[in-house]
Amino acid sequence: MAKGKSSASKGKGKGGRSAFSGLSVIASAVLLFMVALPTFITLTVGLLPSLVAFIFDRSPGRTMARCVFGLNFSGVAPYILEIWMQPAQTVSGATQAVFQPLALSIMYGAAGLGWLLYLAMPPIVANVLNLSAQRRVSELRKKQRGLIKTWGDSLIKEVDRSGN
Amino acid sequence: MAEQAEDQEQDVSNGAATEPVMDAPGGGAPAPAEPEETSENDEATISAGGKSVEIGNFRVFLDLRMPEFDMGHCKAYSADNLRRDEGSAFALVTDPVLPTRHDHMTFLTGMHMAGQIDLIDYETAYWPPFGRKTMVLFYEKPAGGRVLAKQTKKLPIDEHDIATVVVEPLMNAMQAFGEKGLAHRNIRADNLFFADPMHEKVVLGDCASAPPGYDQPAVYETASRMGADPAGRGSGSIADDFYALGMTLAELGIGRQPLKKLNDQEILELKLSKGSFQAIASLEKLPLVLIEPVRGLLCDDPEERWGLAELNAWLDGRRTKPVQSNTEKRAARSQNLAGRDYYTCRSLAQGIAKNWSTALAPLRDSTVEIWLRRGLGDNDRAKALSEAMRQLQWAGADKRSAEDVLVARSILILDPTGPVRFKGFASMVDGLGFMLSYDVQHGRGPQRFADVIVRDIPSFWFSRQEGYSPEVQRQQQLYKNLRYYIQQQSAGYGYERCLYATVRNQHCLSPMVEEEYVVEIADLLPALEKAAETASEESWPVDRHIAAFIATRLEDDVEGQLMAMQNPSDEVEYSRAIISMLAIVQWRHGPDNLQNLSHWVARLMEPAIKVFHSKARRERVETEIPKLAKRGNLVELYNLINDEQERRKDQSEFVEAVAEYSEAESEVFDLESSGPARMELAEKVGQQAAAFASTMIALLTVSALFLMHIF
Repeated sequence: MAKGKSSASKGKGKGGRSAFSGLSVIASAVLLFMVALPTFITLTVGLLPSLVAFIFDRSPGRTMARCVFGLNFSGVAPYILEIWMQPAQTVSGATQAVFQPLALSIMYGAAGLGWLLYLAMPPIVANVLNLSAQRRVSELRKKQRGLIKTWGDSLIKEVDRSGN
Repeated sequence: MAEQAEDQEQDVSNGAATEPVMDAPGGGAPAPAEPEETSENDEATISAGGKSVEIGNFRVFLDLRMPEFDMGHCKAYSADNLRRDEGSAFALVTDPVLPTRHDHMTFLTGMHMAGQIDLIDYETAYWPPFGRKTMVLFYEKPAGGRVLAKQTKKLPIDEHDIATVVVEPLMNAMQAFGEKGLAHRNIRADNLFFADPMHEKVVLGDCASAPPGYDQPAVYETASRMGADPAGRGSGSIADDFYALGMTLAELGIGRQPLKKLNDQEILELKLSKGSFQAIASLEKLPLVLIEPVRGLLCDDPEERWGLAELNAWLDGRRTKPVQSNTEKRAARSQNLAGRDYYTCRSLAQGIAKNWSTALAPLRDSTVEIWLRRGLGDNDRAKALSEAMRQLQWAGADKRSAEDVLVARSILILDPTGPVRFKGFASMVDGLGFMLSYDVQHGRGPQRFADVIVRDIPSFWFSRQEGYSPEVQRQQQLYKNLRYYIQQQSAGYGYERCLYATVRNQHCLSPMVEEEYVVEIADLLPALEKAAETASEESWPVDRHIAAFIATRLEDDVEGQLMAMQNPSDEVEYSRAIISMLAIVQWRHGPDNLQNLSHWVARLMEPAIKVFHSKARRERVETEIPKLAKRGNLVELYNLINDEQERRKDQSEFVEAVAEYSEAESEVFDLESSGPARMELAEKVGQQAAAFASTMIALLTVSALFLMHIF
């Protein structure tokens, strides 16, 4: 009962945190919209793939969305910096800069790379783990061969007997 | 059923089967069919050769027979004492298939005792006519020759001189034996020799070459012991010697063996019906002067029988108390069994023993019980018989066996002082060992003995004994051990153990060493060393006989080794136990060098080497074995495989290795079977790594952009 209660409170806490971070994002977006509209427009258009990824990625930890967001943001960051460097930040300037094909290609391409990274990484890790397991198995087999060489067949018999 | 009964009767009544073969050198052959012929052939060969053999300190001439000194079934040969010039000796060659009497030999060797022939020495030696080893006793030649010479019919001693010439020296000898708790059991007229040329004193002949009473004519045995087979007449007591002395006096007085015309069965029946003295007196003419001692000495009640005090009184001319001639109660009416009428309990017991199968019916229908109650007025025995019958009703599935037990118990109820009788087997309780030895060495096997012990007949005999007797107590203790031994099936126990435990001078009957006549444990390994020359590669140097022989004769406890030998399929423990036993014997008794036996043992050590798990250790042991075998030391060979410290180290290392191997095996199994789990892990880790990398790239990019704008 207590356990159920604690897990419920845990779930509630997690949901609360998520709602809080969602609210803080919306609040930040509203604040940004009110204070720096050109930056808001650039971020909204540039981070569109990340937004989509965050919406569709329901996996725990949202690793795919994080992957896409990381590289997507790397692609958007230069344009944000470019806007911030201009003496007068205007909506038209920002819109013009964002909707250029090269800019969109860089921003969305970077998001795509993030997605590719997300796809490519697990097989690489699996291969590494498999290789390490194989090496361990061969080490153990070598050790067993050594034991048999020292103790003879009686070792196998004893192992079989104790196993039975 | 009728046929079986007939067979049984024939078997038990066949006197020839139980008669001692008196004139046959056994030579290992069980009950030779034509002993006389064999004997003549042997002699002819020897005479032609004119040979002599050196045995210990003596040279024995095989072609110089001395029939005048033959004793019982043993033959005498001329012998020279190589150590001493004075005196003259002769060799008495014992039958190798009959055990000798250890206590008597050790007591008499080298001792001069008035009334007993001097036993100078004894040796186990190869005897060419037998083609095997046997025990040879060396006696001092009595100067006056045999008392009952075969050629003369004249009385050898005047009846008035018998007291001084015969009784006095024999009393002296019997007293000496009695003080040692021994009985001579070979007192008879034809075993008397004149100690001097003047024929003034006699000496008793050999008493050690055969089982007690074996060579005695049946008439010399008490009615109790007569019923037993010759080999099972038992060690007896001094009272039995006094009885034999009485019969000796009778024979010397009459000039021939009393009741010689009657067969053993007739003598027994006569003794049972009339009493021993009356049986002699009614058919023989005893000299007047001997009537009193013969009556006293032949008294059937051992408590009433004359002893040293009465004989001394008689020698001094004093009158002694008269003894009852027959104490056996006679029934008012007879009990019929197999067409014969019996009037006394003991004669009926003998009748039942001789008619085993037909005796069951009158026992079961209570005819015998009613006869005991009404005919004899013996309610105690009737009650005991009724109790034995009641126990028959409790018998389980083996009804036949229970019926046999009933018959055997009935015999003991009727004749509690008599021998244990069971389907043709008849032995006194103190003669069970010698009887077993005789049966085993004469082709009958141990089955009869085993049947008696397994069915616990001697226990019933003990329960029927009245009063306290330390001798009976001692026998009871010994019997308990025998019962334990016979119930054990494994090597080192069984009838073999009973044999060596009860007969101290029983030679080892293992086929490997039988012809070497091994009586002492110290002679076992030299005999095995000889056997090793021709031993087959698969055979073991320790069989059931040798295991039992070692277990009995060795001072050390070998129960642990015998336990290990219980399971021959466990080759490692079995071979270790055998090597251990032989090594202990060598350590205790030598000899130091046993090359053949060591090589034999080394060949069989292969399973024992398996005691080590490590291949390196095994290889080391394998290379060491031939070197040690060459030295002929079994102890070193045993130590090689029984280095306790090394074994313990090997064992603990082996246990560790097994654990290590198992651990590795289970880890390999885990690794090989965890593919899907690993893929799952890889995906999870890969995704997290990708997210981390992506975040790091973002951070680096932003940082780089900031830095570029700043600188």
